[in-house]
Amino acid sequence: MTYTSFMRAQYAVLWRSKQDVLNALLFFVIVVTLFPLGIDPSPAFLTPAAGGIVWCATVLALLMAIEGVFKEDYRDGSMEQWVVSGLSLSLLVLIKVMLQWGAVVLPLLVMTPLLGQMLFLPNDDLGVLMLTLLLGTPSIFLMGALGAALTVSLKQGAMLVMLLILPFYVPVIIFATSGLQAAQAGLPYSGFLAMLLAMSLLSLVVSPFLSAIAIKASVN
Amino acid sequence: MHFSVSLTISGLGIERSDRDLCRDLSFSVQAGEAIRILGENGAGKSSLLKVVAGVMSVQEGQIFFADQDVTLDRRLLQQTMIYIGHSTGLKERLSVAENIAFYSPHAPLDQVDQALRQLGLFHLQDVLVKSLSAGQARRVALARLWFTNASLWLLDEPFAALDASGVAMLEAHIQQHLSRGGMVLLTTHQAPCSLSVRELALVP
Repeated sequence: MTYTSFMRAQYAVLWRSKQDVLNALLFFVIVVTLFPLGIDPSPAFLTPAAGGIVWCATVLALLMAIEGVFKEDYRDGSMEQWVVSGLSLSLLVLIKVMLQWGAVVLPLLVMTPLLGQMLFLPNDDLGVLMLTLLLGTPSIFLMGALGAALTVSLKQGAMLVMLLILPFYVPVIIFATSGLQAAQAGLPYSGFLAMLLAMSLLSLVVSPFLSAIAIKASVN
Repeated sequence: MHFSVSLTISGLGIERSDRDLCRDLSFSVQAGEAIRILGENGAGKSSLLKVVAGVMSVQEGQIFFADQDVTLDRRLLQQTMIYIGHSTGLKERLSVAENIAFYSPHAPLDQVDQALRQLGLFHLQDVLVKSLSAGQARRVALARLWFTNASLWLLDEPFAALDASGVAMLEAHIQQHLSRGGMVLLTTHQAPCSLSVRELALVP
């Protein structure tokens, strides 16, 4: 096993299991669609709430996609092979999470303008929303991977992942939606984006390292 | 290619779920030697292989490979070792050829073709592992042994689900590896017919 062959195999597996990715995306669209139907379809409510709605739907959809990311590898024994491959386990985890991020977040970003229109989000603010998604979702994914790695050996780990990981998601949601609110009020928002980027970079340093330890403990 | 390294295990203790599987286990594997680990179900045969491979951590004792202590940092050993566990590590959603490319990316194509023909998998190259039988999947997992330069093979129940011709083929291949100075540690319940192995009994 090499890093390249690992990446190729993961990519192929991801492509063959595109139904899972599609489920998460569909879930995202459904949640966003239900808000105008359930609360208030008027622009007066939707325009200020759009950022919050999109972000909550994103976090739930990503949690769905990331929660079982290592399950199959644990079950079929390839996780043991990662551990004994002599390669850096952190780097393997990072490759896997990044591929997954690309597969889920990029289509999600493509759909956001359409949903933005539905939520009466002005075009100027749409760019900011997409920037917060681009900068904030790596942290969501990396921390989610840590939760998935910790609970991989449990049969019913989904709820536990959410409990473990949710505290790390709260600041991301707060900064992302406040950034969008600031932009809508015409205030500078670059500080919020910087905070999101900082959180993603911090997760990038911490999560692969800790996930590797969690995986080693899980296969033990 | 000839290997001339040895593996020495001294004072190894394995503990699983607060139960001692073995205490103070010491043995060494010399170049060209195969060791069959014996023991009842649950005696810790698989655990022993996992500990040597580095999947499970060492509770006590030391592991030496090529005269170096690899107890804590197993990378030196892992670079020249192959471990095939009870769960084979095959990706069900990938085809036979893709699985081989995943685990043995450096294998030359003609060599892959030849080995697949020998293993009777040539016509199954593009079939997903999901739809293979247990014996065929086991052959795909074992195909790694045909493309490797590893000196130490750790095989957990390699003969499980194999038919008679598969067993004979694997035994011949292991014998060839031993004649080049390789080392094999394996667990199996059926006694190998043509293979000369040293037996090591695990007693609790």
